[in-house]
Formats: sequence, C-alpha cells, structure tokens
Amino acid sequence: MENEIIVVTGLTKKYGQVKAVENLNITVKEGEIFGLLGSNGAGKSTTIECMLGLKKRDSGSVQILKMNPLTNRRKLFNEVGVQFQESYYPDRIKVKEMCELTSSLYNKPIDWMGMLKRFELNDKTNQTVSKLSGGERQKLSVILALLHNPKVVFLDELTTGLDPAARKEVWKFLKGLKEKGLTIFLTSHYMDEVHYLCDNISILNKGREIITGTPDEVIQNSGEENLEEAYLKYIKQEVVK
Amino acid sequence: MKALWVLLKIEIKLAVREFSGILFGIMIPMGLILLLGALYGDKLANDQANYTMLQQSFAAVVTIGIIATGLMGIPLTLSSYREKRVLKRFQATPTSPAQLLLAHFLNNFLIAITSSILVFLSAKIFFNYTMIGSLWNFIVIYLLITISIYSIGMLIASISPSVKTSNLLCTIVYFPMLFLSGATIPYEIMPEGLQSFANFMPLTQGIKILKGVSLGMNMNEFLSPIIILAVTGIVCTIISIKTFKYDY
Repeated sequence: MENEIIVVTGLTKKYGQVKAVENLNITVKEGEIFGLLGSNGAGKSTTIECMLGLKKRDSGSVQILKMNPLTNRRKLFNEVGVQFQESYYPDRIKVKEMCELTSSLYNKPIDWMGMLKRFELNDKTNQTVSKLSGGERQKLSVILALLHNPKVVFLDELTTGLDPAARKEVWKFLKGLKEKGLTIFLTSHYMDEVHYLCDNISILNKGREIITGTPDEVIQNSGEENLEEAYLKYIKQEVVK
Repeated sequence: MKALWVLLKIEIKLAVREFSGILFGIMIPMGLILLLGALYGDKLANDQANYTMLQQSFAAVVTIGIIATGLMGIPLTLSSYREKRVLKRFQATPTSPAQLLLAHFLNNFLIAITSSILVFLSAKIFFNYTMIGSLWNFIVIYLLITISIYSIGMLIASISPSVKTSNLLCTIVYFPMLFLSGATIPYEIMPEGLQSFANFMPLTQGIKILKGVSLGMNMNEFLSPIIILAVTGIVCTIISIKTFKYDY
C-alpha cells in the first residue's frame, strides 16, 4: 500500500537468551495514531528502540517512511521525532538552550518559542531543565520531539506525570497534528487516553503480540465492557505458543 | 556547521556554570605560575644554567591546563552524557554524535588554550618571562601533547561503563601525571627511581620536549619522545573510536 508509513515484519530482539521482542509485525498508515500497549517490561521501549535503529535487532525488518533506519539514519531523523520515556538532559542546561540546541540540529526547525507558549512554558525559558516539575519536563520533551515538524513521531509514555488538565491539553494538540497529517506511534498506560487517541492498538505480553485492532474491536473481541478491562484481561492471559 | 557552533556555544556556557573545569584548568595553573614567580623570581635554574627557574618551569605549568581538560573534563562529561542518556537523545537526531564529541573536544581545547595564554601573560607581565626557544616549535609540541592527552581522555570515556569507573580511571591517570610528570613538582628534583617511573607517562615525555624547545633546544633531540606521544595519540584515538558506545 502506498501510504504505509511504518512497516515492521518479524521483529525479534534477544538480550542474551531472553527474547524481549518476538516476531512482531506492525503496520502504521499515514495520519494514523497507533498505540503499543503492555505492562512494564513487556518490550515496548525495546520495540521502539529497535524500530529506530538505536538498538540492533536480531531478526526481522523495519521500514519507516520507506527508509531503513540503520542505513538512512540522518535522513530519517530529519523527518522522525522521538520522545524518550526517560528524557535526560545535560546538567545545568536551560530550557531555551535545550530548544536552541535541538533546533540547530535540523534542516527546517519550527519556531520553538511559539511551541513553548502553546504549552505555557514560555515563562520558564531561563529556568534550568532539572528545576522544572515532572509535568513541565514531560511537556518539554514532547515539544523537543516536534521541533522539526516531523512526519512521524514516536512518543514513549507521553503523558506520564502530567496532571489531568495538561494531559487533555496534550491530547488536543496531538489530535490537531494528526488532522494535519502527522503519523503518531505511542505507548501509554492510560486506557482512556489510548481509547480517545488511537486508531489502532496492539497489546504486547512478554514481547509477543496478543491482539491488534481498533480499540473497539479489541473490546468486542475480549467480551469486556471497556478498554481498561479488555487490556487487563489480555495481559493476564498466558502467551499461546 | 551551525549545529557545531550552537553545540560549542552551549557547551562553553555549561562549562562556565559547572566551573570545576575553569578552576582546575585555568585558575590553578595561573596561581601556580604566580607562586613560582614570586618564590624564585629570576633566580637561575642551577649554577651552570643560562636560564631562570621560571623559564625552566613555564612549559610544565602550561601543560596543567591540557591534563585538567583532557583527563577530567572530556572523560567525566562524556561518561555522564552517556549515563544520563544525553548521547542517546542525540543518536535519535540527524546530528552525528561525532559532532557532539567534536564540540566537546573544542570546548575543552578552548579552556586549555585560554589557560596557557593567561599563564604566559602572567609570567610575562609580572616576572618578565621571555621564551628562549622558538614559539612556533613550542606551539607544535603543545598541540602534539594536547592530541595525545585528549586521546587518553577519550579512551577513558569510551571504555568506562559508568561515571563511577570513569572517575576512578581519571583519578588514577590524572593525579600521578599532575604530580609526577613535572607539571607541578619539577622533574629535576625527583629521586631517580621516581624519575624512571615517571618516564612511563606520556606527559613526562611531553613536558621534556616542551621544556626543551622553550629553552631553545632543537626538536631533533627529542625524536623518541615525539614518537611516543604520536603513537599514544594514534593508538588511543583508534581504540576510543572502536569501543565507543552511545549507551550501556
């Protein structure tokens, strides 16, 4: 298909003898919000890192925007944004310096001051990143992932640590970006968020795909009432060999 | 190019904020040259010497800025960038981490050069220091020592899995070099046993050449220490590039 932005086939990653991710297949289309779900340690972050070529996969293939992340790194990251689950920063760096630094790495950065205003961080520009609250830092990491107007963005637990109002703010913002054609790959532990945002989801358990579909399909398939219950049911299930 | 400039600018700001690089790299060598000048003035180095104690010590003091930045600044910042996953963040952008490392290298080099110029100016203004040998030769050897010492720093940065290890390795390498290579305590006054131990350190070799050329000796007389420094620089740089990891 023409508009497939992310295609993962048979992705497997082992740490020693332990299979962190096993034979995973994912397809994400243009303008879609895709959610990868699973409990802590299910292999979500490993999957993202292998997809982006930050970790070496043992087998399988990955294509993002028709590029191989391992061979087209620089070109790829000009069009792909990444927000890491643990966003660490150099010591003593200020918010505006982090934005300036990140902007300078890209060909066509957008106006970061406007983004800071949009997320009400504009009065914090002179503050050290380490002195921001958890929520503020999380918002900053989302901003940094979007500074170059990417075509695809990977958001690893994007709203963890945000208060309810800020979460809603981020949701609205992401929906707006989706309307403009941004493709989003995210992980989250909040099922209300997933249900609201995602077009398609995939639940992982011990590195294996348990079920994939739209949130409503997953609920229907599970026979439960809502996504939270469906999710809990699926992650308790033993992996069928 | 723009990215490198912004990276360098911000690294400099961070170094000033962090301050230990400025203290160990600039203020300590400046303090030391002022102290040596005040203690010895223009006393001759020994009975037969036609140069002063200050002229003899100048080259050694100048190298303190190189080792403070190369053996503390570079490895400690790089391994903390790795431990804090700053390197990993950069790996997911179009920059090459090589660019980040280069910015880091230049930042430390700027501190070292600032330090050496200030040491030179203090010696000149307060104690009338003049370099007997050729300034050009001095600069060539200065750069050779910098490359060799920085390559050791980058090697430590590459092979250390954590800031803790890197700290330990830095201490093991930095302090003997600081005290035994002749950078702070004159090599000439050390007992012979200590001298032969000190000779193993690249910095001791470096200081010997730098001291020699600053006192007007010919570079040809130092062929073997020059080769030692060059080989150290090449070998350590290759290993540090081969073993470099974005995260552990």
